[in-house]
Amino acid sequence: MNILTNLEFSVVEALRSIRRSGLMSLVAIGIVTISLTVFGIFLLFAINLGNMVSFMGTRLDIVAYVDRDLNQDSAQILETAISQIPGVDKVNYIPKDQAWKTFREEFGAKLDIADVVKENPLPNAFAVRVRTPDILPRVAEQVARFSDVSEVRYSGKLIKQIQNLVDAVRIGGAVLSILLFFATLLIVVNTIRLTVLARETDIYIMRLVGATNSFIRWPFVIEGILMGILGGILGVIILRFSYDAVLLRVKSALPFLPVVADSGLLTFVYVCIGISGVMLGMLGGYISVSRILKEKG
Amino acid sequence: MIDLKNISKVYANGVEALFDINLHIGKEEFVFIVGPSGAGKTTIMKMLYREELPTSGQVIVDRVNVTELTAEQVPYLRRNIGVVFQDYKLLPRRTVYENVAFALQVTGAPRSQIRRHTMQALELVGMLKRASSFPEELSGGEKQRVCIARAIVNNPPLLLADEPTGNLDPQTTFEIMELLDKINRRNTTVITSTHNKSIVDIMKRRVIQLESGRVIRDQQLGMYHSK
Repeated sequence: MNILTNLEFSVVEALRSIRRSGLMSLVAIGIVTISLTVFGIFLLFAINLGNMVSFMGTRLDIVAYVDRDLNQDSAQILETAISQIPGVDKVNYIPKDQAWKTFREEFGAKLDIADVVKENPLPNAFAVRVRTPDILPRVAEQVARFSDVSEVRYSGKLIKQIQNLVDAVRIGGAVLSILLFFATLLIVVNTIRLTVLARETDIYIMRLVGATNSFIRWPFVIEGILMGILGGILGVIILRFSYDAVLLRVKSALPFLPVVADSGLLTFVYVCIGISGVMLGMLGGYISVSRILKEKG
Repeated sequence: MIDLKNISKVYANGVEALFDINLHIGKEEFVFIVGPSGAGKTTIMKMLYREELPTSGQVIVDRVNVTELTAEQVPYLRRNIGVVFQDYKLLPRRTVYENVAFALQVTGAPRSQIRRHTMQALELVGMLKRASSFPEELSGGEKQRVCIARAIVNNPPLLLADEPTGNLDPQTTFEIMELLDKINRRNTTVITSTHNKSIVDIMKRRVIQLESGRVIRDQQLGMYHSK
């Protein structure tokens, strides 16, 4: 067997076939593009929500504000006491000056707080990190019991809600992606099946002169792969440009929102889309020709 | 070369095509299968290249029990059998050269071999000059020559021609039969089914006559009708 000659034959046949069924091939490629784009949107959405949850998980621990006149020694004792509460991971003392500095750094760019508020309005605080989000309320309650603690804040409820949303998006996205996958597969299969029917004589002759089933199948599988690759590339292009555009807007409108801009992760998403396209096409090509091979087998 | 043992065939729709056929065809023979339409000529042909399986009995081709082949083995059987059709079955969007080369390409033959064998086959059938024509530009006789070239391009020891001259005028019919005879003399077993009385009578070869699925005559140097 001469693998190169065979591959060349298959590719030439696949291209011939795509060209011949022109419009239908374009429709199939378009639908692959749409499906993969939707799949990609879900993927990006899920990744961003997940990112937001982990971001909030690290930033929004329990914050315990203490009385303004607490001295250094009492603060030390309070810190030790809080750190001994079960479930507490670590406790950080945040002097009010530092908190003010951080606050101004984060929001200073957007609004000039120093113009409005001259004095530091913030109290000293402890940042208490707990090990898991579900024990937040209990720990918060225990921290609040210390007489030197004036106020306790935590956003466990918000995290929980976002976590629920993330789960819903993941499950919904997965279900929708699977449905889309099968719908798209069906269209790819039917498109290639048209070319299979158009080439029935070719297939008949191929079988007659002793081509193996796998040899007959290759051109159709490659036809599917080519459609999948084209659909995948188009999908990635659409996703890339629209994501970059969204990223730009979100960054200027909601600068504190943690949007994923990590190029490695995004590349991974795009590669996933591309691979899905190839798989989709490959499977479509394989299935489309299987029935005719089985019938005559 | 070929042994048919107690072959019977009933199609799925209930049509009974063959009844208890027993035949032996030796290497390099030239055999006519004659008989009216529906007598079972095509069914016998199809069994030889395993397009059909017998309902009972055994088909042996070149020492291989065709009835017992797995689906994966069938392609390799077919590489040793050339088939010629009444309606040629040429691929319309391919040139003469491509049609013939196709038979080699799909068996994964190396490129150099494809070119050489295709040219040889076209030369043998006298179609080298039309190599770059498309089938629609050819006459019936020319199409049949291309079909024959495709059937013999990988030098099969057995050539089956099912009504090869059914669509051709007498002169062309005679030319095609001369071509089959020439191929037979190159040590290829040739089995031809036909309605054509005159070519059978002129060529005087072994004649197997079928009627309603039974062999009613098997005669060396026979004529179309028994005397």
